[in-house]
Amino acid sequence: YTQMPEYNQTGESTYYASTCRECPAGCGILVRTREGRALTIEGNPNHPVNRGRLCARGLTAQQGLYNPDRVRGPRFQGRGKPTSPPRDLTWEEAVQVVGSALQKPPERIAFLLGLVPDHLFDLVSELTQALGAPPPLRYGALAALDGRTTLLEATRRLFDTPALPYFDLAQAEVTLAFGADFLQAWLSPVTYTRAYGNMRQGNPRRRGELIVFEPRQSLTAGNADRWVPIAPGSEAHVALALGGRVAELRGLPVPEAFRAVSLEEAARVSGIPAAQLEDLAVTFATAERPLALVGGSALTQPNGLVTAQAVLALNALVNNLGQPGGVFLTPAEATPAPLTAVSDLVRRMQAGEIEVLFIHGVNPLFELPAALGFAAALENVPLVISFAPFPDETALQSDYIFPDHSALESFGYQRSLAGADRPAWSASQPVVVPLYNTRATVDVLLAAAQAIGRALPYRDEVDFIQQKILPLLNAGGFYTAPEILTFWSRWLQYGGWWTPAAGLPAPRSPRLPASFGTLTPPPAPAEGQFYLLTYTNHLGDGSGANRPWLQELPDAMTTVTWNTWVEIHPTTAEHLGLKDDDVVRITTPYGAVEASVYRYPAIRPDTIAIPFGQGHTALGRWAEGRGCNPAQILPAATNPAGDPAFIGTTATLMPTGRRRPLARVESKDGVYGEH
Amino acid sequence: MAEERPAKWGLVVDLDRCTGCNACIAACSMENNVPFVGEDEVAYGRALYWIRTQRYWEGEYPAVTPTFQPVMCQQCGNAPCEPVCPVYASVHSEEEQINLAVYNRCVGTRYCANNCPYFARVFNWFDYELPEPMRSYLNPDVTVRRRGVMEKCTFCVQRIVRGRQKARAEGRELRDGEIQPACVQACPAEALVFGDLSDPESRVSQLARSQRRYHLLEELGTLPRVTYLKGVGNHGG
Repeated sequence: YTQMPEYNQTGESTYYASTCRECPAGCGILVRTREGRALTIEGNPNHPVNRGRLCARGLTAQQGLYNPDRVRGPRFQGRGKPTSPPRDLTWEEAVQVVGSALQKPPERIAFLLGLVPDHLFDLVSELTQALGAPPPLRYGALAALDGRTTLLEATRRLFDTPALPYFDLAQAEVTLAFGADFLQAWLSPVTYTRAYGNMRQGNPRRRGELIVFEPRQSLTAGNADRWVPIAPGSEAHVALALGGRVAELRGLPVPEAFRAVSLEEAARVSGIPAAQLEDLAVTFATAERPLALVGGSALTQPNGLVTAQAVLALNALVNNLGQPGGVFLTPAEATPAPLTAVSDLVRRMQAGEIEVLFIHGVNPLFELPAALGFAAALENVPLVISFAPFPDETALQSDYIFPDHSALESFGYQRSLAGADRPAWSASQPVVVPLYNTRATVDVLLAAAQAIGRALPYRDEVDFIQQKILPLLNAGGFYTAPEILTFWSRWLQYGGWWTPAAGLPAPRSPRLPASFGTLTPPPAPAEGQFYLLTYTNHLGDGSGANRPWLQELPDAMTTVTWNTWVEIHPTTAEHLGLKDDDVVRITTPYGAVEASVYRYPAIRPDTIAIPFGQGHTALGRWAEGRGCNPAQILPAATNPAGDPAFIGTTATLMPTGRRRPLARVESKDGVYGEH
Repeated sequence: MAEERPAKWGLVVDLDRCTGCNACIAACSMENNVPFVGEDEVAYGRALYWIRTQRYWEGEYPAVTPTFQPVMCQQCGNAPCEPVCPVYASVHSEEEQINLAVYNRCVGTRYCANNCPYFARVFNWFDYELPEPMRSYLNPDVTVRRRGVMEKCTFCVQRIVRGRQKARAEGRELRDGEIQPACVQACPAEALVFGDLSDPESRVSQLARSQRRYHLLEELGTLPRVTYLKGVGNHGG
């Protein structure tokens, strides 16, 4: 051609504002469509969570919409048993199946929901209440690995409000981060990455300083000014000792709770020299705008609840609650269920107390620690109904799959936005006509409830959402409307509702208890044993593993693509005679997995780490049979807040004698050519 | 109709903001119809990243730290890839004054890639088929390349053209920051800034004058349009 398409643009695109559902953060998106096709996904510049920015997961969401492996219609699955061959159903049959399932004795009905979307959770909550069934459980590996329940419990104990904290990182000048990988996972990665950029170069007063305590360098620790390779499980000791010292340095009486650990003891347990701890305490105590935040590996451990309270109280010691560069509380109720609630459900399933299990938005066979026994308990549930849009592990082990629309074909809202600096609701709307014979789960449930004479007062999903957002009509948002239809058109146009000015409630001054709880000293690994960590990278909870571009995206720290690796410190690897790409067997008391070695220079020599998200046995052509799933070898133990207690688990490493080269981008020569 | 002056498009990469999260790669690939090649081909070094993050480890444990540097076509004013192309497929565009690949001229000699000091050019070793219905998300504004063709970052020239057309239709000048390549628009840390370097007041010009500025392989005299701002450490630097 004489004019390339780049120069020859015809036609106009239509943009739709919606909400990203690739993780619970709820970023606002603008989807560019042309002729009914969703092309590119961009951030919504007005949205208070992401301000026009987006992460790799949100940017590749159209590969979920147009994924060739989607479930294309309601299906009887028969749990893959040869005696009951799968067959396609109509939606009328599906509604009947759901209706008769809802007529089971209410206490024998269970709903297991994912972290998104919030409107479905709200509807199911009303439905179960109307039926007299137990409320729905919400679980997701992302929330579990973040330690969200622990954070909620800590804010409840200290500030009397179980709310997710919002940390004003952008304006902080010295930030101590305990385990929170806020640049890649955690509460709201885009919000905090934006804040990080502004913390570095957007503050006219000074360039913010970041100090991170983690046993293994995450992307956040990799961007820190100082990375402190703390012994796994000793974060609480360090936070308490620092708190005591900070109080002294600021001339305050040392609160009783902070007297539990001396600086010397913390140094001994954590392996950080006392002089360095003292230096950090001085840096923090004398800073103009100090901030301490906590999450992830610092919480998913036996001492997690102590760590969470100690770090939040550290902020109170330096008076940054509700101050610029300090700690705020997000107003919306956050509803992730602790792992203990899920284990309770598993126990009831095992005991045959559950007759029907509905699953939406979560893949428990993949995400839950295998040690919890979900797979065996599922066998004891006579009727399992999955609403998954993709044939994931759990959907294939269900009796029926009644596929929900994919995210870009759905209405909905997120009202729990951990990254918003103001009260906000984020709206979803379909950007394309549904590709397949799928149906909104809310509509299926409403129709089923009506069919059995237990109708809820909503015509359909849109009517339900409109009634739920009625209180926002005159709640001081940046637009108001006299009635719902006008409001609704703005709601869809802007992609949600929020207040014109930033502002979040400040936590009240905490009542510090005499003790934050008992401290378990971290066990020292025996000879030949290593602490085992898992973490989330851009694949998140593993639901993104069927997006080929997410698979092809290099892991930020290792540049590995399309596979799982195990990170081992180079000197440890040398000691064990391991080289890059050697396949090793990683064994814990709960199981064993195999992965290729990546010699990772930024991890403690006594620790190994495996990324979460690969190792699918289902979920389509790009996800299946790739790498390993660390959930297979993690314990089902919990911390006092009910979150998983993974940290402190030890594992052995056994060479298999095989090699499986990892597709790394860091070597331009290509790794296959080298050997 | 407002008089148009030629723009000198440039990009600034603030390494103090960049976290190495790779959102830029995802944004670029979806905007520009860049195919994924699969595990084996990535391992052979044949991945088609138009922008990549160079991650180098610095220091020894425990003071070890990664450095991240996103590298894309530097849009050289004096581009080593251009004189070596026997078929004029690697050329400067007249209007934007940036370096473009003319895909239908390219015969796949790969001389340009060999001569590019920044490893910015990638080659389609195969045809990468997208299973149906995945082709639905392909961007109609961007050519889909096939086997045997060299490709690379274009500063999202289709967005530049669209922005210019829009401003022209509305009878006004382009606003600073109105045109954003996909990577710039996505970057969660706001580490990438794009704009007109010929306008001394534009944000990109102001940042490109920063004391932290440098160009990649400046000594080669390629006159890159991409300026890097050095990351700042608290302990020296």
